[in-house]
Order: sequence, then structure tokens, then C-alpha cells
Amino acid sequence: MATNAIQSEPVRIDFCDELLSSSKLFQSRSRSHKIPVRGQKEFLPNDSERQKARLQKILDEHWTTVTEERVERVGNLVNAEWIPEKKIVTLQSRAGKFWQTMGFSDGGKQCLYPEEALYLMECGNVQVFYQDLPLSIQEGYESFLSAETVTYLQYQVFGHLKRLGYVVNRYNNRLCNKKSTASSEVSTGRHTGENKTNVQYSSLNYPGQIYRQIFQGKIPRSEPDSDGAPGRHWWTNITSKPQPDLFQPSVRCWDFSCIIFPDLGSHGADSACLPPPDPSLLPGALQVQECHMAHWCRNIDLQQEHSSKQTHSQNGRLCNINDDRMVHQCKNWDEYLKLVEERKSQQHNNRPTHLWKKEVLPLAYSRKCSSNRFYFILYDFCLLPPRLPDPEQWRIDFNLYQPDPEFKKSNPGKPSTRLCVCSFDGVVPDLRALQQLSFQSGDVPMTFAVVDHGDISFYSFKDFKLPTDVY
Amino acid sequence: MSTESPEKAGDEGPSSGGAAGSAGGSRFDLDKETELRFEVEAGERVQLELLSGHGEVFGSELNRNKKYTFGPGSKIAVFTWQGCSLSLSGKTEVAYVSKDTPMLLYLNTHAALEQMRRQAERDNERGPRVMVVGPTDVGKTTLCRLLLNYAVRLGRRPTLVELDVGQSSVSVPGTMSALYIERPADVEEGFSVQAPLVFHFGSTTPGTNIKLYNKLTSCLAEVFSQRCEVNRKASVGGCIINTCGWVKGSGYQALVHCASAFQVDVVLVLDQERLYNELKRDLPHFVRVVLLPKSGGVVERSKDCRRETRDDKIREYFYGFRGSSFYPHAFDVRFSDVRIYKIGAPSIPDSCLPLGMSQDDTQLKLVPVSPGRDLTHHVLSVSCVEDDIEGGESRSRGILESPVCGFIVVTAVDTQAQVMTVLAPAPRPLPRHTLLIMDIRFIDLK
Repeated sequence: MATNAIQSEPVRIDFCDELLSSSKLFQSRSRSHKIPVRGQKEFLPNDSERQKARLQKILDEHWTTVTEERVERVGNLVNAEWIPEKKIVTLQSRAGKFWQTMGFSDGGKQCLYPEEALYLMECGNVQVFYQDLPLSIQEGYESFLSAETVTYLQYQVFGHLKRLGYVVNRYNNRLCNKKSTASSEVSTGRHTGENKTNVQYSSLNYPGQIYRQIFQGKIPRSEPDSDGAPGRHWWTNITSKPQPDLFQPSVRCWDFSCIIFPDLGSHGADSACLPPPDPSLLPGALQVQECHMAHWCRNIDLQQEHSSKQTHSQNGRLCNINDDRMVHQCKNWDEYLKLVEERKSQQHNNRPTHLWKKEVLPLAYSRKCSSNRFYFILYDFCLLPPRLPDPEQWRIDFNLYQPDPEFKKSNPGKPSTRLCVCSFDGVVPDLRALQQLSFQSGDVPMTFAVVDHGDISFYSFKDFKLPTDVY
Repeated sequence: MSTESPEKAGDEGPSSGGAAGSAGGSRFDLDKETELRFEVEAGERVQLELLSGHGEVFGSELNRNKKYTFGPGSKIAVFTWQGCSLSLSGKTEVAYVSKDTPMLLYLNTHAALEQMRRQAERDNERGPRVMVVGPTDVGKTTLCRLLLNYAVRLGRRPTLVELDVGQSSVSVPGTMSALYIERPADVEEGFSVQAPLVFHFGSTTPGTNIKLYNKLTSCLAEVFSQRCEVNRKASVGGCIINTCGWVKGSGYQALVHCASAFQVDVVLVLDQERLYNELKRDLPHFVRVVLLPKSGGVVERSKDCRRETRDDKIREYFYGFRGSSFYPHAFDVRFSDVRIYKIGAPSIPDSCLPLGMSQDDTQLKLVPVSPGRDLTHHVLSVSCVEDDIEGGESRSRGILESPVCGFIVVTAVDTQAQVMTVLAPAPRPLPRHTLLIMDIRFIDLK
């Protein structure tokens, strides 16, 4: 080899790329794989030339470490195949030592989750093939990380903790580990719809979803796919059919200029003379004469003067409702009652907007405050949380176990903590989400892993009891 | 109607106030459009017979040569459009012929309503809904009866809605009811009470629980509208609403509420211009408010008289008309078998209420009554509500809005044996076991 290299320069370069010399191999194996430590200055540059140069140097160092070729012995590499449909990686050869803490069996095959496979690829333990070609680490990042498997953020936390030596599991695959002989169909379900496998998780979210659907005015439908079933048609038919109005909608109004009532109160009644009514309208086809009303006008009880004053002072309602233009436009009771209803609701709406129209509403409406309505207030309260959290947004991602040589995947024991991965740029979880997660977590403490451009910080809430007076 | 013939009475006698009686009675010959008014003395009975011509009592025609008997205290007016001769036998307090009747105005009112029914029938609309209002003792009930009789004689099927809790013409006092009229009122007995819809109110004046009064008014309106939807004849026939004589303050508000609950088309105001003007002001313009005079024949009834009619009404419920046709049953009911409620809790001063709670809620509350000696002689309504419905709120609403299937009177209470003896129209057992107590007492003396 050495002689060949001396003979022709260009060929030597090709040759060197293809076949590594033992010295080079030795060199690359003995080289430090440690990523250079980066300080905080990178994030808080003060724009001085000196600092800039030093930062650049660190970055370059970092870059060279990352770009350098990995050298592993072929015998140490475990071959595996990426199965995109199931979003898992199946092992083709015997698993290594990592099998103690990672992977699972599915239908007699040893499988790895994508994040595990990617981590092992990065560690140089596994070589993953797809369509008989090896995947690079970059390709691994591209194909393994997705919203369906784990996100980049989650992988960053996963990898960080794995590198520190912890045992990290997906939170909601505890059931899967137990059912190691489960059929492939079940395993598909567990990977595509993770909620399905975790009974605890889905049952917790159920009320929230129902509330939201009620809130949005949707009726929760149990099985949308059975819409076409004939048994379901009876109620859809009913709702689609317009309900007959309780009161027959009377669009007409009586024309009282044609229908003559003997009204003594009307103007000019004292001189009016009613024509004899049509005998066909009368019982026994009576024939009567015209009716002079003047005689009766004198006999009417004329309490009007003094008592009307009384009522006016009592009620203070001098106005005639028919003076209102809107009322005057109403043709019948339906329209009138609608108008009254509208006005009533407008009165309610006259309340200050900053109290009643914003996102935050009073817990109870004053008019609802009666003992028998109290139930409804509580009901409203449940229905109207300020913001309904997206059940997908906050969830427990990983279980974290202390490194333990006795660790068993089938019986991992109680995790030391559970992790929820969030981004520093995203929303801060609200109290409801925090409570929900810690409730879900049970007696295991919750830790929030907050990723800020690769820097991961961990936060947790500690319960404490308020001091009480002791007598 | 079929017996009627348009021919004028041929043997019309000379117009005279009171001619000499024949066959043990006094004979009255009436001109056309006049009426004979008479009152029966206490403890007496009067027999009336139409000898010739046509006559009617509050819209119900008299049959010729049939003797009608009127009991003590009856106040009757026989009106004739064409003229007739009548014979009265028995002791009357007063008996006189009057020419001064507003019947022609009432007839014109009927003609207008009939025109509306005709129009409704043609246009497939609903018939007129009429509310009759006025102070006490102006003849509201009589006008209702008159208009209903005229309508039913023309083949209409109007509905009488009785909101006068003090002097109900349909059921016992303290109730609000609706009655579908299919035939003219009997001259003696009034409308035949077959399958009325009765709601329990519990007191003789709406003022004791105005909230409940308005609620039951709405209930009746809703049921009536439901009937109109399924029964075309009922819809065309419309309804005639008889109201209380309380026309001030809350009573007036109740009238306005009733008008909007029933969506009335016509309001007939009897004899009070003030009420007429107020209603014109407070009801929308498309409601025709009509002022009508009262008849000169109406008499003021004293408190005692009203109480007596109430008593008679309850007695009539148990024993039938004139206490002769029904035979009620008396039996024991164990306290444990029934649940007795009173509607409306006693009002509490506002200062004692929890913050934000309003007094109104107590008026519609059901308060369980533990049976005791003071229950004796009270009238109880047997609610139609199913016995097996449980659960506080829905149940109490169910009882409030359920009609009544009958009435019983507690005649004796034995607190030792935990039983009470009741007077009931039917033998035991009680059809339902939810009882509502009334303020009204009935002592079975006769």
C-alpha cells in the first residue's frame, strides 16, 4: 500500500479514502470523542473581537468533532432495518448490551423505537438499513423523528438523559412491554394512536373532550363511521325536520276595520250605529235591527279620572307601548314577543363589557344565585374554563429510571421521575395542565424538560403545606 | 238548533210587565229584545216554563213546555229576540221585565267573533282568542257563557278557559281549568263538565300566589295551543278566557300576562273605562280591546253569597247537581300511603335570605305537609303526576305543572292510628298518591 501511494499521488488519495490504514484507524479510535464544552458567552456575545475569535474557535472545534468520521468495528455493529409503516426498527442480528434497557419484542422480533435506534446509531452501536442501504445519521434524524414518533425536542431530551446514563422509556409504552407477544395489529395501533394503549391517559382526557364538544355545541357522536346504518336514521330525521311551532305561526293579523266590534270606548261611539249583523253569523239565523250605541255610552262606569291618576303615580308608566315605533311595526304576537325578548336580552347586555365580554367571566351571574340554581352554576363553571387545554399539547413523554445494573424492562419498577418535554419558545403550561399532568403521574414526581436551542433545563414543582396555627 | 224555526211566535200576547198567572204561576209576555229577570228566594225553588215563542237563558235556548227548576239563590235572566210568553211558579225575590239590555251589543260581539272564525276556517288560521275582563260583578262569566253558547250553536267548538279561581264555573274553586265546549250549556246546570283540564291553584284569590297563578296560566295556554295543533276544530273555535275580578296592581299584571301567554286577539272589557284605557296602553296595537257595558241585571254578590256558591260548587262535585246524582265514598287513607304538599313556602324577610337569593323562588316551592288535626275539612287535589317519579327539582316542577285528576275532602284525622278519613268521588284506592292541599275548606253538612 505504501509503495502504491508513493507511485501515484491522485490514486493514493482515492485509496486512502477507500481503505483505512491501521495507523489512521488507531488515530481515530484514540481521538477524544468529547464535544468541547461551550460556555454561556455564546448566547451573550459582547461584540468584542477577542471574544468573537474565541467563540469562533469553539464553534469550529465543535464542528470538526461532529463532522469527523466514526470508526467502529463491523462486528460490534448490530444490523437493523427501518420499517416506516410501523415506525419501528427491527433488529437483524443479535442485540448488544443495550437490550437490557432498550427495545421490545414484537411477534418474536426484536424491535427498537426510532429514538432508541437513532441514539444507538449516534453511539455507534447500530447500523440501520433501509431498502438494503445503510442510513446515515443525518438520514436517521430525518426519517425517524416526526410528530408521530418523537419530535426533535423530545429526542434532544432523550439523548441528553441517555448520555448521562439514565434509563429512559416512553411513558405510554408500559403496557406494550408487558404484552411482548402481542400481535402485530395491536402493535400498529399502539404506535399510530398512542392514546389508545394508555387507558389512564385517555380516560382522563375524556371529560375534557366532552366538555369542549358541548361547549362548541357539538353532540359527541360515539361512532361516526356508523352514520350510514339504518338504525341511526330515526333521530337524524327528527332533528333535520323543522319542528312545528308550538304556537301556530300566524302571519296574518285581523283586519278589524272589517270585523266590527261594538266598542263603546272608541271615538265617536256615542253617535255610532251598528249595522245589523249578517243573520248567517247568528244562532238560529236571527234577524236583528241596527244597534244604537249612544244609549250605552252614558251607562259606562267612568272611574277614569281619579283612578287613572292614582295608577300613574303608582307605576310611573304613562307611556303607551304602541307609541314605540318598533312595537307598532309588529303584526302579531309572535313578532311582538320576539321583540320583547330581544329587548330583555339587550338589557342584560348593557353590563360593562370589561366584566362580561372578555375571556374571563364572573364565576356566577347574580341572577342565577339561588339555591336551586347552584348546581347550574357549578355546571357552567365546568363548562367554561378560561381556555381548554389541547389534550395533545401537554402530556408525559418519558419515564426516567436511575441507572441500575439490575434493571429489567419487563419490571422496571417505579420511575424516579416522569418527564414532560416543552420548548422554551412555546406556551407556558397553565395551572390546569400542570395539575392534570401531576395527577396523571400519580405519586411519581413530574419534571419539565425545557429545551432552549439545545440547552436543556429541568424544572419541577414541589408540593408543600401551608403552615397552620397550632394552638 | 234543529228545533228552531225562524217563524215568529204567533200567539204573542200584549206587552205587559206581569200578567195574571195561569196554572199556579205568573205569566209573563215578553216583547222582542227584552228579558225577564228573576231571583229565587233562599230556601225556595222556582219553575220556569216557556209557553210560546223563543227564549234563551244566557244563550241556551229554552224548550217549549218544559219545566225548568231553579234552586235557591239563582239569578236568572230569560231573554227573547223574537218575543215569548213564560210562566213562573214558586217564590221569587224579584221578577221583572227589562227592555234595557246590552244583548244586542253582545250579539254584535258574537257576530264579529264568528266572522273571525269563518275567516280562520277559510285561511287555515287559528280562531279568535278572547279574554273577558272586568271588575267583580259585571257579568263576565255570563258573557262568556253567552258567547260560548252562541258559538257552539253555530257548530263551533270553542274552549272555555276559566281563570277565575274564586268562582270557577268548571270545577271546584281554587283551580284553573279549561273546558272544550261541544254542546250548549244546560239551562239549569250550565256546561256539561266532561273531561276538563284542571290545574291546582289552592286558593280563592290569585293574590295569595301570583307567581303560581301566572305559571298555571302559561301552562293552560301551552296545553291549549297543543290541542289547537292537533284539533283543527278547536283551533278555529278559539277560546274564551274568563278572568278574575281583580283588575289592579298584580291582578292587572296577571291579565296582561294572560293576554300574552294566550296571544289573545280580542279583549272584552266589561264596564270599566279605566281598565279599557290601561289595556289599550299596555297591549300591542294588533289586540282589539273592546269596551262593553254591563247588563243592568247583574247584582252584586256579598262575601257570604260568594262563599256559599263556592261551597255549593264543591258539594256539586261530590254529590252531583242538586245533591242527587252522585254518591261519594268515604274511606280511610293511611298517612304513609300519600304525600301531601302545599305549593308556596311562607315568605321569609329578605334580610334572612342567603345572599343573592330572591324571594320569588319560594312561591313555586313544594312544601311537604305532615298530616295533622288541622288538615280536617281541607280540600285536597289529587295530582296526576306519576307516583314513581323521583328526584327533587324535576319532581316538584312535575307536580306544579301536572293537572289534577280529582279532589278529596279530609273529613277526619286520627293522628294515633295515622289515618285520615276522606270523602272521595270514587271508591278506594286513590288513583294517585300525591296530594296538594288547598286553603279552601269544605264542611259536609247537608
